[in-house]
Amino acid sequence: MSTTNLEKIKNWNDAGSQLRTWRDDNVRMSKETLDLWSTYIAPSINRLGDEKWLVYEQVFLAALDCQNLTIAEDCLAALKAQFSSSKRVKKLFAMKYEAIEDYQKALDIYDSILEEDETNAHVLKRKLACLKAQNRINEYVKELNEYLKLFQADHEAWLELCDVYLSEMDFAKAAFCLEELILMYPHNHVYQQRYADIKYTQGQYDLAKTYYLYSLKLNPKNVRSLYGLLLTTANLKSSQKSKEGADNSKLNLWAREELDKKYKEVDSDRNLMNSVNDMFQYLAIGKAEK
Amino acid sequence: MAELLLDSKIRFWVFLPLMAITFLVGIIKHYLFIFMSNDKTVDKQQLTDSQALLRSRLIRENGKYLPKESFLMRKNYFTNEDSGFFVKQKRQSTVKNPMSDPKAMTEMLKGNFLNMIPMVVIGGWINWAYAGFLCTKVPFPLTFRFKPMLQKDVNLVSLDASWVSSASWYIINLFGLRSMYNLVLGENNAADQTKAMQDQMSGAALSMPDDISKAFKAENESLTITEHKWLLKGIEQSFLN
Repeated sequence: MSTTNLEKIKNWNDAGSQLRTWRDDNVRMSKETLDLWSTYIAPSINRLGDEKWLVYEQVFLAALDCQNLTIAEDCLAALKAQFSSSKRVKKLFAMKYEAIEDYQKALDIYDSILEEDETNAHVLKRKLACLKAQNRINEYVKELNEYLKLFQADHEAWLELCDVYLSEMDFAKAAFCLEELILMYPHNHVYQQRYADIKYTQGQYDLAKTYYLYSLKLNPKNVRSLYGLLLTTANLKSSQKSKEGADNSKLNLWAREELDKKYKEVDSDRNLMNSVNDMFQYLAIGKAEK
Repeated sequence: MAELLLDSKIRFWVFLPLMAITFLVGIIKHYLFIFMSNDKTVDKQQLTDSQALLRSRLIRENGKYLPKESFLMRKNYFTNEDSGFFVKQKRQSTVKNPMSDPKAMTEMLKGNFLNMIPMVVIGGWINWAYAGFLCTKVPFPLTFRFKPMLQKDVNLVSLDASWVSSASWYIINLFGLRSMYNLVLGENNAADQTKAMQDQMSGAALSMPDDISKAFKAENESLTITEHKWLLKGIEQSFLN
């Protein structure tokens, strides 16, 4: 999306509006932000009016991403001069310490902000990020849970906790987090599919099948769900009898046909088709042996 | 009826000044508001409560997408008779009496001050200084019913309804200049955002119900009577056919 747009940018005005779009859409694009900054914006920063403070902040964050500490320092100095007592600028200072891995200093600043404003979600999240950056996973999980007690409806935090639990192989808890996400976004097929993935890993094939099917209903193009369905039904097929077993093999067949179609659409390459077919064969044998 | 002619001085001394005055007053009001508003810090307790209510509502609405055990587990967390969240959390009734809370009082005063005073003072002054002028004419005929709206302070029965009196012109400006403010003060660039920069993102400033214990009780009841009806049951059928 951006490359075509970036070529059109000729002056500070275009660059400013591009940065604004990124800011509003929460797009990171740190490298590009820095490029725009040094080429167009920096020479005419004052033309942006009051917007320049937001640009300073945005560029500061981008500079931290790229470890360009000179630019970061410049932006921070400008912000500090304008908003000397702002907590938001204080937070940026702490983030600079985070970037140079001086976590203790960063944490001290965060704590001092929290003393004044104990429900500042941004700062609480930064603190969590510090823990994660230091790889203190146990504390991280504990603190994240504390955070979620406060902000029970913060879906990003639930997603993060789910990822952490998955990396720790704690599937039951990860499933709980995903259930929260499903509650918040019941029509997001990726969440449904991930939930099914977890249930499959836990060996709860029936549930996994249901959620794979639901995610396919929401988005018939979800290939991962198709594979998931293929695997779950392959696992279920042999273990169940008569009616349900027949249904499962039907679903299995259907998933296989769909996948087949998808591969043919994308690529008619012989080798790929062969290897896919081999895999299907393998799956079929696997379940027969069971 | 003979066509009315307005003195061109009315344009320079009534029509345009009225526009300028309302516009400038609006801008001053805007900056005063920025100047006088202070950060709202959210109380930890309030935050937890409102988030819990939000989550419980989601469980009621979207619980049908979860397997039964998961739904019951959450329901139990909130509504268990002995240890449920809604039962256990005892909140004193926080219906604030604004008279007893000086902070709320000042907030109220400020709001009133900023909205009412200019309306009354400027409106009164305009009524006094510019009363009785006709200052413009809308370029299309209007029915008789529009007269009280467009011709405030000018009680002439025989006057064509498309003439606009100065007091009405003021009121039209007052309400019609909003998009001009958006243009000038901007949603994207100016004051609003800078304000956010200074007084810090209080991102979770959710609107709170006045009486949290009452809200808890109501939510507890509605969650208790919510039965789990699994929406995904039998979803295979739609694929098998």
